[in-house]
Amino acid sequence: MSDTNASSGPGARAAAHATRQNELRKRSSGRLMIFGFLSPTLAILLFMVAYPIFSLIYYSFYNFSALRQAGMKPVGLGNYTFLLSDPELWERFIFTGKFVFICVSLQMLIGIFVGYQMQKNFRGRDVIFTILMMPMMLSPVVVGFLWRYMLNSEWGIINFLLSSVGIAKIDWLGQTNAALWAAAAADTWMWTPFIVLLATAAFRGIPETIYEAAEVDGASPAYRFFRITLPMSAPVLFIALILRLIDSFKQYDLFVALTGGGPGSSTETVSFAVAKTAFSYFYTGEASALAVILLVIIIGLSMILVRHLTKMGEKY
Amino acid sequence: MAEITLKNLSIEFGSFKAVDDVSLTVKDGEFVVYLGPSGCGKTTTLRCIAGLVKATHGEVLFDGERVNDLTASERNIAMVFQFVSLYPHLTIKENIVFPLKARGIAKSEIARKLDWVTDVFKLGDELRRYPGALPPGARQKVALARAVIRDPAVLLLDEPLSAIDEQFREEMRWELGHLQRQLGVTTIYVTHDQREAMSLADRIVLMNDSRIVQVSQPDRMFFDPVNVFAGQFIGSPSMNLIDLVPVEGGLRLGESEVTLTPERDRLPEWAMASKRPLKLGVRPLNVHLTDDQATGVPLPVDDVFSVGRERFFSFRIGDGIYQGVDKRQSPAGSAGRVHFEPEGLLFFDAATGRRADAEVAA
Amino acid sequence: MTHAKTSTIDLAARWLVLGLLLVYTIYNVGPIFWLLLSSFKSRMDLFTMPPKLFFTPDLSGYQSVFGVGAAKDSASAVGVFDSLINSIIVSVAGTSLAVFFGTLSGYVCSRFNFIGKGDFMFFVLSTRMLPPVAVLVFYHLMFARLGLADTRFGLVLVAIFANVGLATWIMKGFFDGVPKEVEQIAIVNGYTRMYAFTRLVLPMVKGGIAATAGFCFIFAWNEFAFASILTTTQAKTLPVKISAASGATGIEWTQICAAGVVLIIPVLIFFYLIRKHLLMGMTFGVLGRS
Repeated sequence: MSDTNASSGPGARAAAHATRQNELRKRSSGRLMIFGFLSPTLAILLFMVAYPIFSLIYYSFYNFSALRQAGMKPVGLGNYTFLLSDPELWERFIFTGKFVFICVSLQMLIGIFVGYQMQKNFRGRDVIFTILMMPMMLSPVVVGFLWRYMLNSEWGIINFLLSSVGIAKIDWLGQTNAALWAAAAADTWMWTPFIVLLATAAFRGIPETIYEAAEVDGASPAYRFFRITLPMSAPVLFIALILRLIDSFKQYDLFVALTGGGPGSSTETVSFAVAKTAFSYFYTGEASALAVILLVIIIGLSMILVRHLTKMGEKY
Repeated sequence: MAEITLKNLSIEFGSFKAVDDVSLTVKDGEFVVYLGPSGCGKTTTLRCIAGLVKATHGEVLFDGERVNDLTASERNIAMVFQFVSLYPHLTIKENIVFPLKARGIAKSEIARKLDWVTDVFKLGDELRRYPGALPPGARQKVALARAVIRDPAVLLLDEPLSAIDEQFREEMRWELGHLQRQLGVTTIYVTHDQREAMSLADRIVLMNDSRIVQVSQPDRMFFDPVNVFAGQFIGSPSMNLIDLVPVEGGLRLGESEVTLTPERDRLPEWAMASKRPLKLGVRPLNVHLTDDQATGVPLPVDDVFSVGRERFFSFRIGDGIYQGVDKRQSPAGSAGRVHFEPEGLLFFDAATGRRADAEVAA
Repeated sequence: MTHAKTSTIDLAARWLVLGLLLVYTIYNVGPIFWLLLSSFKSRMDLFTMPPKLFFTPDLSGYQSVFGVGAAKDSASAVGVFDSLINSIIVSVAGTSLAVFFGTLSGYVCSRFNFIGKGDFMFFVLSTRMLPPVAVLVFYHLMFARLGLADTRFGLVLVAIFANVGLATWIMKGFFDGVPKEVEQIAIVNGYTRMYAFTRLVLPMVKGGIAATAGFCFIFAWNEFAFASILTTTQAKTLPVKISAASGATGIEWTQICAAGVVLIIPVLIFFYLIRKHLLMGMTFGVLGRS
């Protein structure tokens, strides 16, 4: 009796009020924490990413040069129509596309092959694994220079090795096609270890019993690889693929050091073209428009990645 | 289908002997259950028959042919694992036909076999789903279907029911036994659950500490254990084990005042004559409450309790508490005398743990 | 019979695999070996044909990187050694702040639901994908206007922005690994959330913070595009400096190779220290979770 009385009496109301106050305070302290903890990250990203991107979009509608602060002429979509009708830009896209295609397919193929060997247990595995990862640790500029140094047509080690097996000297960096393959070789050298790393982890994530079951079921090693290993690690390999697509698409550092965009302008990637337009020619408006185009492509690829990641999160 | 023979099989991992000198012949079409506590070497033996583990010494023979050097896929075996080993990225149907596809069997043949298996296992709607969408019991059923679809020489089952809910396990066990008889496939089954072994096996192979303890039919295993380990491992509630002290006119039960006599308890003569210390093994099922002075002995009765429809009681000898089955349905707290059925008395050598009865020793 | 045949095929396949692995290993390790060897070569030895495997080591490349000996050039305002110092300052400061901010936001993303969380996470992730040259078009103007061009402070800002997203994602992964009960028990016992965070949760993710710092440092240390456009003389970092190491006498290969070796050493050390968390960092902790 006294219990029911208390729960509807004024004392109870006060208590309930106090708990509600407490709840509110707790919730507001949570809010304070969310706000306080996020704001430094948010502030720097707004200042260093959002603000520049909106400014880029703004500038992309103007004819304007960073050298001459005065004359900002609005040109509407002029920069875009100019760029999209410029055959030179299309050539850069085609070159970048070729580069991305060669790099990503080589890296995925080699990376999956080596990763499959590295998932097995053998003596010295960890040491070999660490050594294999080394190219990835270098700065891309160093990689560019290193390969430029090795690919020198006169005294480079690569032509020397080729000539010692009877192949004529190749002017690697002096011909468009050879330079494309040289750049792909350098990028593949640097980034295959990344695929090896992910592929090994993905393969090792498959439970041992699955392999045993497949062996008992009479699957040959090749059948096991294509029907079990590959499909079961596909989600992780897909992430690797998209990350490499994005990274090789925006490749810039390597070309600065390796080819300098040459011979002529034949090995200029889209990123390279943005940099050249902005910092050599100072066509800031045009460069902004090109940067926006590049951003749209990269963000598109990123969204595929994120959607895939969310799906993966739901599935497992 | 095949006859499987193990000849002096030993399996070592470094200095650890997982299986020590095991010999056994599993007849064509027989259902043999390896039973034992975890770590006794039963699963390792099974994996060795499968070809997943290499034998250190000895031979594995299929129909008299040595298979030691064949890989698992070359041995024509099928296996169901303890933990679910279905391919998660394939549908149930794709899982089931996987062993056939892997061997490049013709499509029409695959379709025919699939129809048969679907029918036997009553898999209708499940076929198009993925393993992740099925409960564990149904997954093991699929694993079993995948195992039998290609007429293996031998079906190997590694604790296939242990990850399944109690209630569904019973049903699966029954279905499994039925299926094995229907197919007539040589089957080797590993479990630590003695009830599974008792209800499924043609013969039980009891293992402990890497060695075979006893090989016999389930009822023989129950009534005629070769040693204390076998006696206590089989049967639930487990066998009572009581020290016997030789005294004038009989054998005294441990530290009690009660003596079993040749007349009342029909003690065998050799036991009376034996100078060895003995232990008495008697299953609760052979111990009852009685008011009859002629057959019952006065031991303090602790408690009478029910487990489902069965009624048990516990009694004391010294510090030890032992169990019996109360057939009289006497109310709780009632006293009485304890009757040991003479047919249920087993005698073990206290030093070695082996059966001391003449007929087993002979 | 058939058994013997399959085993010959198996054997051939195994040798083929081994052969391919060997080729890959040479492709993979050879250039590193050549880099190390060349960093000790004198100008004479560099261009000799056929290339020399044995020669008298020449330390001039390393001397110039560390600013000792005769190779120090007093002519230019910023030597290679000064750029090394710049690299260290920018990477250390940028990493520390990025990890600090990333730890805070990673914690919130792991523990709270707030409006726009998904968008925030995507926004943060996308900063890792951003092509540097695209934002550089604007940075170039912005930094000049704000007086940040060619300053270490400007580069530190860049290092924070470039790594805080990565740090947030990796730290979120580590926080996800800490049971929520840790804070709940503390709050039930009358402690504040802040206390639970600083005194209980943070010590539990110490290893994760170290790993995150390792990753951010590696990226900051090797960064080239931003530093090359935003610095002109004073604030040049080592990667930028070596790209400009082509003087009147052509490209200073020995110096570049020595700088390459010096650049890789701290990365190697960090790689070794954070090897257990390698995957987590490379994939934003997304894979580490599953």
